[in-house]
Amino acid sequence: MTRNTEAVFILAGTVLASVGVAMVQFAGGGWLDADVALTFISFALAFGALHISFRLWAPNANPLILPIATFLAAIGSIEVFRLDPDLAALQRWWLVLAGVAGGSLVWLLRSSGVAVLRRYRYLFLASAMVLLLLPLLPDAWPIHGATVNGSRLWVRIDLPFGVRALSFQPGEIAKVLLTVFLASYLADRSEAMSTVSRKFGPFSIPEPRHLGPVMVAAGVAFAVLVYQRDLGASLLLFGLFIGMLYAATGRGFYLGAGIVLTTAAGVAAYTMFSHVRVRISAWIDPFADYTGAGYQTAQGLFAMGSGSLTGSGLGLGRPDLIPAAATDFMFAAVAEELGLAGSIAVITAYAFLVAVGFGIALRSRDRFRKYLAAGLTILIGLQSFLIIAGIVRLFPLTGITLPFMSYGGSSLLASALIAALLGRISHEERT
Amino acid sequence: MNTPVRRIVWALLAGFLALILATTWIQAVAGPGYRDDPRNPRLSAWRVGRERGAIITDDAVVIGHSDPNPEDPQTFTRVYPTIDRYAHTVGYVSVLFGSRGLERTRERDLVSHRDSTISGVLNAVLGGDPRPRGLRLTFDDALQQAAAEALQGSRGSIIALDPATGAVLASVSTPGFDPNSLIGSDAGPAGKALEEDPDIPLLHRTIATTYPPGSTFKVITTAAALETGIAGPATEFADPEALELPGTSSTIHNYDDGLCGDGESVTLAEAFVLSCNTTFAALGMQVGAEALTETAEAFGFNQEIPYDLPVLASSMPEAADFYDDPAATAQNALGQRDVRATPIQMALVAAAVANEGNIMIPYVVGDVFTHDGKIESETEPVLWRRAISPATAAILSDLMEQVVLSGTGHNAAVPGIRVAGKTGTAEVTGASPHVWFIGFAPVDPEPGERQIALAIVLEDGGPAGETASGGSVAAPIAAKLFETYLK
Repeated sequence: MTRNTEAVFILAGTVLASVGVAMVQFAGGGWLDADVALTFISFALAFGALHISFRLWAPNANPLILPIATFLAAIGSIEVFRLDPDLAALQRWWLVLAGVAGGSLVWLLRSSGVAVLRRYRYLFLASAMVLLLLPLLPDAWPIHGATVNGSRLWVRIDLPFGVRALSFQPGEIAKVLLTVFLASYLADRSEAMSTVSRKFGPFSIPEPRHLGPVMVAAGVAFAVLVYQRDLGASLLLFGLFIGMLYAATGRGFYLGAGIVLTTAAGVAAYTMFSHVRVRISAWIDPFADYTGAGYQTAQGLFAMGSGSLTGSGLGLGRPDLIPAAATDFMFAAVAEELGLAGSIAVITAYAFLVAVGFGIALRSRDRFRKYLAAGLTILIGLQSFLIIAGIVRLFPLTGITLPFMSYGGSSLLASALIAALLGRISHEERT
Repeated sequence: MNTPVRRIVWALLAGFLALILATTWIQAVAGPGYRDDPRNPRLSAWRVGRERGAIITDDAVVIGHSDPNPEDPQTFTRVYPTIDRYAHTVGYVSVLFGSRGLERTRERDLVSHRDSTISGVLNAVLGGDPRPRGLRLTFDDALQQAAAEALQGSRGSIIALDPATGAVLASVSTPGFDPNSLIGSDAGPAGKALEEDPDIPLLHRTIATTYPPGSTFKVITTAAALETGIAGPATEFADPEALELPGTSSTIHNYDDGLCGDGESVTLAEAFVLSCNTTFAALGMQVGAEALTETAEAFGFNQEIPYDLPVLASSMPEAADFYDDPAATAQNALGQRDVRATPIQMALVAAAVANEGNIMIPYVVGDVFTHDGKIESETEPVLWRRAISPATAAILSDLMEQVVLSGTGHNAAVPGIRVAGKTGTAEVTGASPHVWFIGFAPVDPEPGERQIALAIVLEDGGPAGETASGGSVAAPIAAKLFETYLK
């Protein structure tokens, strides 16, 4: 019966998205048009695909994952529509594609289970590295990197016949692949890594050869920071590595080493890169350089302050005044139009999703599945935490997307794959 | 082996709790501060979208009005049909660039009070009219158009007013700009282009910038001599080809490097009419720093002129700064060196001479009218200061009339009208001179007859460039404007 409940909640989320789009249209003085129907259809197709794949190939999957994902995607796509209907049209395609991709993943794993992924871990590691390096391809090539807002994390494919270029952010997929690799690697090694140790003065430290992954983690994260100027992705990757190492070994050493390395890398980045210094000073006082570095943060604060408790109402605020409202600053846009009530609902939904994900990890008996579930949950949790914390100034601003909500095909695709994997893992634990 | 995972869960959930607290702080506690921050573009977007009252000229030409938006009748678009003609005085309200001009200073009259603020509700309960008021300006549109045409293609400014009341009849600053292009949230590129334009079109040259007044300042130097009794129109001065400044190697020359009169002697009246620098440098040194500064301040220098818009103070150095420096005194007496004046200040100098030495407070908002067209409040002319005695004013008036009849200002003459004026050609190091004309007409009007005083300045010689003089470039514009307004 749980699948039927899931279907009802997905339908509710689909209706929410359509009604939201209709409300935006009313607020703009318009009348219902195809957008409402197309929103309904795209949500029904995307989450219907995921739901049916669960029904067929993961019938015991946790029934809360998809409803929460639908709710977040609904709020996100309403706000994307409110900001730019053209972007919302593209977003609908991406949503359907992501849903179908997630469903296909469940289908692929139908007989062998997620355990099959363990076998290909070095393939995943290699693919992740290639994907992370793709944006560095020279501009002259038909497939080439692109710099957006000072960060080089985009890959653009120039299509022939003047069709508009296709762009995607390979880092979004790379982080999912890296999680699979790490879960697999740790499932084999965690025993040794958590028991074997060496005394070093008062500290007990792991065998140096087990420190390899930490160094790799720090190296990859720092390379991403240096070459792609992407503070957010490097922090996210580093947090993922450290979190998974700690989850697998339970050794405080990794946390300590992680904090020391993060701090060291942070200080190094601060002294070496002016764009990092600018970010930090804009974090401490966005109004000190209001028209420059602090502008976006300040616009976010104005939006959230103007939204107050209950918000301006859908389509009645001015989130279009915030730079990058549809992507990085999605949370501020929602906070303006839905108010504190909407903000807390969104944060709570992420907290709920994180709780569900870790619940799956805790119940998993198999190490690989446990670490994979934990890693994917850390990914979702840390990513949503980092970007919202940047907007509300708990942390320096990092340009990353809000999972399920922000505009962006790569981000939606990665989120849908994570939802599919979590569903399949929870199914395998219950059978 | 679940303990570390549990710890991560608690850490992340604590993080989300912190997010909720921070968001609550920003939206609920600090929220009103962010919402009402003047930099919040939502405020100006809201302000721009409100209905505002009409702004019209004295002859009922509409300068600004609000149209309801077809899609959303609750919001309005401001339209300025006169484009750039009144742009500097009237200003604009813009989403991105704030507000300026009368749209800013008279906002309280112009906006509708139909809103849910406490004062708005109170006003409605008490039966006040929430509808926006309109402003009738004292501008004469024909005169304003003629002034704008005259400055077309030059950087400069013209301000004309009624000496008896202080009502501003025309005020033009060029280059102008189109306020319609600055209103919306898509105005970024247009506004940036205006801000970066080297000709500074957004500068309100009439009131917000100063120039060396050059020979127009001789009116003040003469006033100082007359008021102190140091010289009269018939007082004779030596007529050298050049005047050596004591204590320096520099000399003062006349405009054409020639003699002022016959080379023997020249009267103050003759020197005024021909604008002889040698004579006025000598007179300035006789009058002295104290009387010069005192007289300039009597005309309003070193003070903010009260007006409907903020006016930059014209500056005259303190007497203590140059009383022991005859060279500086001589150059200041010629309106050069450290003396700087706004065009509105120099127009008030001319107006004082026309109005028996009295300066009225200049104003441009003639009356505020309700939505039904009833006059709600009317601006009463108020005396600002007595600059000089009526006797001094009478002599200056006579001298200035001679300037137009037979001197440097002959191009300002209008057949059938008694015109008085003074030209000025302010030297600028390394550039063409700023050319001036200040004056008024008619001299001694009949009771009930219109009178107009004005100041004209063209930067860098206007169209004539380095060969320009006040008499050749600015004076003909004055003639055109006198004719437009008085005939």
